[in-house]
Amino acid sequence: MEDEKKGTRLSRRSFLKGIGGGAIGTAVISTGLVKSDSAEGYSPETSGAGGNRATITLKVNGKAYRVEVEHRSTLAEVLRDELGLTGTKIGCDRGECGACTVIINGHNMYACSQLAVWMQGKDILTVEGLAKGDKLDPLQEAFIEHDGPQCGFCTSGQIMSGKALLMKNPKPDEAQARRGLSGNLCRCGNYNREVAAVLAAAAKSS
Amino acid sequence: MAQAPKEYSIVGKQTPRIDAYERVTGQAQYTGDLQLPGMLYARVLRSNVPHAKIISIDTSKAEKLPGVKAVIHHENAKVPWSSGGHTHRRYIFNNPVRYVGDPVAAVAATDRHIAEDALKLIDVKYEKIPHVLDANEALKPDAPKIAPNGNLSVGKGAFSAPIEESWGDIEQGFKDADRVFEDTYITKHVNNAQLERRVSIAKWDAGKLTVYASTQGVSNARTDIAKDFALPLSKVRVVCKYMGGGFGNKNQAQDYDYMAAMLAKVAAQPVKLEFTREDDYIGMHGRWASEQHYKVGVKNDGTITAVSLDAVTNMGAYRKQSGNLSGTDFYNIPNFKKVIKPVHTNTVVAANYRAPAYPQSVFGFASFLDQVAFELGVNPLDMFMRNRAQKSKGKLPFTSNYLEQCILEGSKRIGFSEKWHKPGATAGPVKHGIGMALGGYPFRPGLGAATIRVNPDGTAHVLVGVTDIGTGAKSTMAIIASEALGIPLNQIQLTNGDTDVTPYSVGESGSRTTAFTGPAVVAAAEDVRKQIFALASAPMKSKPEELDLRDGQVFRKADSAQRIALGQIVKDSGDLIGRATTNPNFPKEMDGKCFSAHFAEVEVDTWTGHVRITRYVAAHDSGAILNRLTAESQIKGGVVQGIGMAFSEELLIDKVTAIPINPNYRDAKVPTHLETPEVEVIFVEHYDPYGVFGGKVVGEPPITAAVATIANAIFNATGKRFKELPITPDKIVRAVQV
Ligand code: FES
Ligand code: FES
Repeated sequence: MEDEKKGTRLSRRSFLKGIGGGAIGTAVISTGLVKSDSAEGYSPETSGAGGNRATITLKVNGKAYRVEVEHRSTLAEVLRDELGLTGTKIGCDRGECGACTVIINGHNMYACSQLAVWMQGKDILTVEGLAKGDKLDPLQEAFIEHDGPQCGFCTSGQIMSGKALLMKNPKPDEAQARRGLSGNLCRCGNYNREVAAVLAAAAKSS
Repeated sequence: MAQAPKEYSIVGKQTPRIDAYERVTGQAQYTGDLQLPGMLYARVLRSNVPHAKIISIDTSKAEKLPGVKAVIHHENAKVPWSSGGHTHRRYIFNNPVRYVGDPVAAVAATDRHIAEDALKLIDVKYEKIPHVLDANEALKPDAPKIAPNGNLSVGKGAFSAPIEESWGDIEQGFKDADRVFEDTYITKHVNNAQLERRVSIAKWDAGKLTVYASTQGVSNARTDIAKDFALPLSKVRVVCKYMGGGFGNKNQAQDYDYMAAMLAKVAAQPVKLEFTREDDYIGMHGRWASEQHYKVGVKNDGTITAVSLDAVTNMGAYRKQSGNLSGTDFYNIPNFKKVIKPVHTNTVVAANYRAPAYPQSVFGFASFLDQVAFELGVNPLDMFMRNRAQKSKGKLPFTSNYLEQCILEGSKRIGFSEKWHKPGATAGPVKHGIGMALGGYPFRPGLGAATIRVNPDGTAHVLVGVTDIGTGAKSTMAIIASEALGIPLNQIQLTNGDTDVTPYSVGESGSRTTAFTGPAVVAAAEDVRKQIFALASAPMKSKPEELDLRDGQVFRKADSAQRIALGQIVKDSGDLIGRATTNPNFPKEMDGKCFSAHFAEVEVDTWTGHVRITRYVAAHDSGAILNRLTAESQIKGGVVQGIGMAFSEELLIDKVTAIPINPNYRDAKVPTHLETPEVEVIFVEHYDPYGVFGGKVVGEPPITAAVATIANAIFNATGKRFKELPITPDKIVRAVQV
């Protein structure tokens, strides 16, 4: 591979080339429920001037944004750099850590592993979209009470996976909660707290 | 037992973090979230050979790529990185390169994808030099020399080598023993792997450099940068407000901060330099690997008479930190000698990772003691209790020591005595095991500073230089201020982590924030309280010393019904400012330590080699606990990192190419939700007379005993001793099948 001659690093482009080809792997860590499916919704005709840019409409937290993006830009990059929604973090940029988890059409997904151009017409929910005005989502409140964030860098992702789980299963047991969050790494090792917060939020919403 | 001098209003409670709201709503701005106008993006090119002279570096094609604004490398950016290496001069780009991952060039461009593309256009010609990866090989006389003085890493002061320490009479100690045992334990390089990748944003304004860093210490980062860029401290500003974990490898300023600063200078635009996850694994340091050879003399009842430790630690290509091994600290050893050789190899640099000198050596020594107990027919609980540390280094008293209570309470909670059985005794393929080990961490006070402003409405603003790497340090400082001032927590604002605004702080490493900066917050609070009482004295018709302040109310000590709200007292006096720089110390001939005893139960599936931790109890003597909520989280998290180190984590380096082959989360296998048991935390809470509000340290201790605890539980389950980390399923299956 060309990259290997120059250095040991892998660029985004080679990473994206690796999707489907299996060269580098698009692994979703453990057996998490985070999906990384399909290129549906992507149409090559969206290519704009220069051949590698497209103007798309992103529906995020109920708002529509018109943005011009590079084909190779991921949803995570566009959310952060173009829309200023930096609550979505990038921890690995290769589908391993879950820091970038957002909810797309009701499923928790890694935003670093979705091209922005695939997102036309999808409903995207990020951590910034959870609170209703000043009213935090019960899951956010539970994360505060149960000390969900240590460094907090994984927190948005943990919350979004937790939220996706509760949307599908409002009363998970502990094993289900763990499984629901299992695609989200926390290097601070705050797993007990994050699971406790999800269970507490579930218990509250009766 | 020492008691707290009075009832506290907020210290010792369960208090959610003061910045929890920002952290759960996505509003907390981490360094990588900041965008400056005109900001460029930068990436780093790294060496793909382990040891080579750079013959030429051709960046012309990269420079021509539209969007590229600056390319730097060893020829045009010869900036020393003083804290990056303590035995030989280290620069941000080195020639020769000394490991796969040594930075070779950095590029800034208008967009990160362009910067990535540009890296591929840089043509580097290397002339290879023979390399060495193994620490023992590196010590042989004919090994390729990595540092000018050879591969034994000899620096000055704290970086001298070999590291030697002894007391008592080691020969006599072995003579006094009934039995003498010897064995070797091996640990591997593991990565800090904090979730936030390294990032740095630099900009220059009229000769002043501002670095938005992801650092554990803004003050020492500023000192480093000023020194290496030959700038006065007043021309350097370092800011870090939110920090996504570091665990010891974001102390001070790092090479990427310098690269961002150089790129910003060349391009005359702000630059954000981001590491990739791979960069983070190989371009930053992890924990030093070690080979530990122990000789232990014991009486037949298990009492230790002498311990000697000979070890090598693999520091990689540069010596950033000590390379010491201190796992023997928690035992009473009358005669002791250790000789540790930190060694250079052509591998990724090793330095501080949470409790740097401990978990690997606690694994070695506590596993070996457990083995010795087995050979002697002594129960491990008895062995650890009998040999627990009572004095420091065999002679100095501790400021407080409740290790015995940790052992008693922890063993009782898990039911150690009832559940312990002969190793390997469970029938069937899934075997139960229980194990324990002792740990802890040094505790000492030191230099700190704080400023507190009391606003005209009676609210307060605390300024401290601390960063908060996830420990809750900001919240702890606010809690200390609230308690010391007598102003409720919700009326306290805190500004942290900005060298232009906040006073000196030691940096969040070595579990020192509370012990160093805490006393300054208390002293600053006392300073401003004096001013408040002087003002209140007339309206309250009292002498200042007759007054007190609690819950935002100034009152007469003799009659607390006579009170006036603080906001009334200070409303016309502008800001009152309390300030303090403090540097407390212990009395001579005294040592400080916090202690822990950990216990685990496991189920080992001898068919698959899979281990499940079914119960984990961590009992800690951290002195008084200032915030139970965040302190417990720290303990839980430290144990989880220990679980990764015990079971799966190891940076693998290909023997032929010297290329790290698993520099990412998936292949380095950090623990996930699925492997993590509920960690039950016990604080054996006793007031330490030298701690702030009686507290000692919390952050680093929990990882120290975890690895050995799990290893000893696996021994009890299988009857097989694992002397090399990580204890992976294949090793277990092979061991149980012979
Ligand atoms: S950043 Fe997307 S999974 Fe790690
Ligand atoms: S809180 Fe730090 S990574 Fe989860």
